[in-house]
Amino acid sequence: MKILVVEDDRTVGQYVKRGLEEQRYQADLVEDGMEGLRLASGGRYDLIVLDLRLPEMNGLEVLRTLRDRGNTTPILVLTAQDAVDFKVQALRAGADDYVTKPFAFEELLARVEALGRRPKEIRSPVLRVGELELDMETREVKRGGERIELTPKEYTVLEYLMRHAGRVMSRTLITEYAWDYHFDPGTNIVDVVINRLRKKVDSGHSQKLVHTVRGVGYVVKA
Amino acid sequence: MATIRRRLTLWYTVALAATVLAFGTALYIERRHASDRELDQRLALEADLAYRWLTQSYKVLGRIVTTSNLKPSLDPAISAYLEAARDYLIVADTSGQVLALSDVTRTLNAPALERLSAPLDTLPVVRHTGVLTLGPLNGSVRYLLIPVDSAGPAVGGLLVATPLRQASFGPTDLLRSMLFIAPVILLGAVLVGYWLAGTSLRPVEGIMDEVDAISDGTSLHRRLAVPLSGDEIARLAQTVNGMLTRLERSFASLHRFTADASHELKTPLQVLRAGVERALTHPGTPGEIIQSLDETLAQINQMTEMVENLLTLARADEGRAPLSVEESDLREVVADVAETAGMLGEDAGVSAVHAMPGSPVRLAIDRHRIREMLLNMVTNAIKYTPQGGTIALTLEEDGDGVTFTVQDSGIGIAAGDLPHIFERFWRADQARSRTGARPGTGLGLAITKWIAEAHGGTITVQSRPGRGSVFTVRLPKPPVQAA
Repeated sequence: MKILVVEDDRTVGQYVKRGLEEQRYQADLVEDGMEGLRLASGGRYDLIVLDLRLPEMNGLEVLRTLRDRGNTTPILVLTAQDAVDFKVQALRAGADDYVTKPFAFEELLARVEALGRRPKEIRSPVLRVGELELDMETREVKRGGERIELTPKEYTVLEYLMRHAGRVMSRTLITEYAWDYHFDPGTNIVDVVINRLRKKVDSGHSQKLVHTVRGVGYVVKA
Repeated sequence: MATIRRRLTLWYTVALAATVLAFGTALYIERRHASDRELDQRLALEADLAYRWLTQSYKVLGRIVTTSNLKPSLDPAISAYLEAARDYLIVADTSGQVLALSDVTRTLNAPALERLSAPLDTLPVVRHTGVLTLGPLNGSVRYLLIPVDSAGPAVGGLLVATPLRQASFGPTDLLRSMLFIAPVILLGAVLVGYWLAGTSLRPVEGIMDEVDAISDGTSLHRRLAVPLSGDEIARLAQTVNGMLTRLERSFASLHRFTADASHELKTPLQVLRAGVERALTHPGTPGEIIQSLDETLAQINQMTEMVENLLTLARADEGRAPLSVEESDLREVVADVAETAGMLGEDAGVSAVHAMPGSPVRLAIDRHRIREMLLNMVTNAIKYTPQGGTIALTLEEDGDGVTFTVQDSGIGIAAGDLPHIFERFWRADQARSRTGARPGTGLGLAITKWIAEAHGGTITVQSRPGRGSVFTVRLPKPPVQAA
């Protein structure tokens, strides 16, 4: 799946482009509106990620021009404006969804996946780590075929860690993914969830799957 | 206002009382002098007549005193004239022995006569006036004593006297009248003064009511009506209008600044985030670097939250609050928050419980904002509850609306702090915020209040220091449309 990223800030553009590439998408980055409109008009992309503040031609104009020309490529808008009327304006101009800056990459990815209708072979709805299985459609978790009952937050954290199996995820990343709420520094809510997960997932098994990396974060690996 | 009115009235009254007192005193003193002068003139006239009569009689007759039974007395032919005098009159010899009395004098009883003739005992003396008290029956008299040396050696002097109350409208009557009239005048003054003060303050009250209405936060564009009178009230209205204009301008620029600053800060925050997040999730990053990156990310999040809250509050002040409302089951939001509260409680050693109805509680809300509001209330409750305490989150529904309560057994809030806790950047314990023992952005409760009010609801708090606090959010149901 090919994605066009139109973003004038190079750091943010590169971050989005590389992040998407890590998820095995093909991504091209352009930094101004005119160039973005030219490439998008070619019809070679499955999705366009469009910043609304651009040099040469602003995002809203690009959006309107594309839609006026009958281009139906799904468009995800990036905006620093979170006023409702502004979002409504973008949606009316033909945007399919929007993400408000500053955003976590996970949030962008979720929108991209929803809009892009990612083919099944790229990501199976069942995540596996060792003998632990997590079905993202039914939200069922099993270990060695035996069902494990999880609360919603426990499930969300486990899913996040299993999607990034083998990679250490920091507390802040886990918190913002599972809660989208900023807790006071020093709050150890992630440790509490991990302890509960550990009891439910690892107790009674000699092979531990949930690991703590001291001072860094948590990782799920076989 | 009422106090100014009362104070003005009091001053009127005091001023008037002082004036009346001064006037009355002056009048009384003057009246006394006049009355004394009047009496003295009358006495002098009478005494001179008697003196001249005695002197002339002596010149003509050579001898006017006769002695019978060893008691000297004035010759009857001479004393007959003196007896007809209107006032008290006594003629005495040089030793004070009475020679003749007027008929009026004879009506006095013995002790009174004794007292009246007492000044004559000290003859010869110079001519003088004085006051004598004769007794309960006859009251006080003013007298004039004249030494008589040209009516033969047997006559020493004469005394005329007249009761003080003989003076027409004497000072005592005046005093009595004043004591009666003054309170009436003063009472009238209080009433008139109170009415006058009220009348002159009424335009000020009108201005106060208008300013009250304008200062509700959303009516700063309104102005007071300036009276055409050009008096002090008109000037006051003009001054207030000028102040309102400056206030409106500075509020507008403050809002614009907050909105611009928040917006301009978000893009660099995204750039910061992008770099940190990439490095944080990069497979080869060493552990100690991840740790500091994670702390940086947490700080970026805190700053992002603060910027977003400031932007939201700035918009709310302008009355353009972004809410995206949809019908939801509030129990889902409460269950979600309750689970988080349980985990936070486990971390803090506080037990967290919750209660809600068994059937769906449906209401049009901004789910994200209501969740944020409840999380704010719950984290706040846990933050101020010591280990071993309890917090309870409850949802109740009735015919008119729904009620969320978050009750804790924490340290409570001092009564003096209660009115301020929803203010931006306000903290109960100024010292504690610097130590970082109870950190936060200082905007949490301000945002919480805004969320409740943006949903048409209210937030209230009851607290007792040492016993805990109860935060209550009440959201009304929309009125049922008549079918």
